[in-house]
Amino acid sequence: MNELLTIENLHVAVNGNKEIISGLNLRIGESEFHVVMGPNGSGKSTLALTLMGHPRYRITHGRILFMGEEIASLTPNERGRRGIFMAFQQPKVVDGVRIKDYLTLLLTKVKGMDPLKTGKIIRKTLREVWFSEDILGRYINEGFSGGEKKRFEILQALLLKPKLLILDEPDSGVDIDSLSLISSKLRKMHGEGIAVLLITHYGRILQHVDPRILHVHILREGRIVMSGQEELVERIEQEGFRKIFEECGCNE
Amino acid sequence: MSDVQDIRSIIEEQIETLRRRNKEPEWVTKMRYRGLKAFLTAPHNDPVLSNPLEFVVGHKEKFPEVKTLEDLPPEMRALLDRLGIAEVEKKYVAGLAVQSDTNIVLNEFLKSWGARGLEVLSMEDAVKKYPALKDKFMSLFSPEESKLAAYHTAIWNGGVFLRVKKGLKIPMPLHLFFLIQNSAMAQAPHIMILAEEGSEIHLIEGCTSPILVRHSLHLDMSEIFVGDGAKVKLSVIQNWPEYVHTRPMTRAKIGKNAEFINTTVGLGTGKSNIASPKYWVDEGGYVELNGIILGQKNYHVDLGGEMLLRGRGSRGLNATKSVIMDRATVITRGLIRAQAPSTRGHISCDALLMGPDARMETYPGLISEVDDAELSHEAAIGKIREEELFYLMSRGLREEEATQLIVKGFLDPMLKDIPMEFVVEIKKIIEMAVGGGM
Repeated sequence: MNELLTIENLHVAVNGNKEIISGLNLRIGESEFHVVMGPNGSGKSTLALTLMGHPRYRITHGRILFMGEEIASLTPNERGRRGIFMAFQQPKVVDGVRIKDYLTLLLTKVKGMDPLKTGKIIRKTLREVWFSEDILGRYINEGFSGGEKKRFEILQALLLKPKLLILDEPDSGVDIDSLSLISSKLRKMHGEGIAVLLITHYGRILQHVDPRILHVHILREGRIVMSGQEELVERIEQEGFRKIFEECGCNE
Repeated sequence: MSDVQDIRSIIEEQIETLRRRNKEPEWVTKMRYRGLKAFLTAPHNDPVLSNPLEFVVGHKEKFPEVKTLEDLPPEMRALLDRLGIAEVEKKYVAGLAVQSDTNIVLNEFLKSWGARGLEVLSMEDAVKKYPALKDKFMSLFSPEESKLAAYHTAIWNGGVFLRVKKGLKIPMPLHLFFLIQNSAMAQAPHIMILAEEGSEIHLIEGCTSPILVRHSLHLDMSEIFVGDGAKVKLSVIQNWPEYVHTRPMTRAKIGKNAEFINTTVGLGTGKSNIASPKYWVDEGGYVELNGIILGQKNYHVDLGGEMLLRGRGSRGLNATKSVIMDRATVITRGLIRAQAPSTRGHISCDALLMGPDARMETYPGLISEVDDAELSHEAAIGKIREEELFYLMSRGLREEEATQLIVKGFLDPMLKDIPMEFVVEIKKIIEMAVGGGM
């Protein structure tokens, strides 16, 4: 299995010098499905945002390789064009920007698609995630419900077809039906060879995913303290993080 | 140049030239002399043009006369093409009139509406045809109020008279372009719109023609009379070259239950652009001033807007959105006076600052002379939000592309009354401006 993402001894600071990620190591091979779980404040979102290149998160040590290339100095758009996609935990409202114009721009500028061919693909894909064509005239994320926001993130991932799909809590603030849809879209994209890095608190988002393929990691204070397979998800749901940390002696 | 006697004789000569050329009624010439007299004594408080006298002398260049759209100089044709007007023209979707000095070139569309009660004349022809205009012309202004108003009164030339007959509703926008070539004075067109009771019209003014005009001062004046129950939209798209100073003067009387939507899009605002339109609103009437301002280089833009809500239940909205780059300064000072019961007014001012030297000032004014008026204002001045930029860039859009998208989105809600072909062109101009500056 070829390595897609390699994170070596990563240290990340925010707001000056406050360290959030402290010596994190993670390897994701092509088409693998990784789940990162951890209590609040353990650095999950920081990991996602750092991988995407958010300007407020500063790498103080270590390195990140994507397809063998060091990406720390790349801008977010350069990372996006290389095939990294992050579905935001809290997708941003971009006022006044119509979804039709936005998606068309993504397909033409980022994917190099013929502008005449974009309409059909956009219309087909938006139906897949339960949007009607009315959405095309609306502004990005404006007045969207929690479920709509998360489904709109999935819509963009479906259109852009990344190599690595990072999802930051795609299950937070989502209705049951949207959750099920997102889960089945995850299975579909993974089935098409997209590697997944899923950040979550709960196992429910995995309902449609084959449990045998999962690589599960537990994050605590900016470090992966335990890795395993699907049974780890169940243990966390039943016992909670506190008990696991006590048993593994991770509370030092 | 500072000698008063010299100024007097220069303006006098300009007035006499216009009198002879236009063969105008005596009241018009009298009005011009009243303007001259006022010019010498009226106050001058322009923050940018400290000496108004330097603009009194014009140029002597001659250009070929324009009788049809085919005669337009190549620059003007190219501009109309760029704005998609040539296409629109072919499809007969809308009307187009080009003002060239004292001739108005009308297309077939306008001629056909003429038979139903839409009258479009050059201002020079209108004052000859309608003696009754004596009571309307310059009735919303006074030459004594400022040197620039006085100078306009003395030497106004060109402009359009537009009358919409009672009850006539024109379903598509009428396009008007100014092309003033041969006048030896400052560019000073006078525009008058008479929308009679229950009529509806949307006029789009394209103020441009940069290459043809050597003047550095543009002093247009618009007087709009919106009859009871009538609806008028006036959209002004300004794309001036950087050496021009513009002082558009607009005033409107809005009748009972009438509506006036005044949108001004300042893409190229010129070296300086100062305007303080004024509106009188009668019972149940509504006025809206929408300002879209793109401040670039070291331009100075100052947009006022005074609304007098003098009829019961009348309403006013003053909304501006500015995108400010480089070392440009944009000032907005809306003023709403509630003078009658149950009136409502709102001022909003939003600005995106695109650089450390861009400057925005806003001075909203709300004056209530009655006890049950509802007046409010809001302002938001800031730069592009990092989180929005990051969201768009993470999807693969370059910083420049993401910035353009955000800026266009910022302005989008204000372009609701502008026809699509203009919106496309306006967005292209914004893209170019933003793309270069970031």
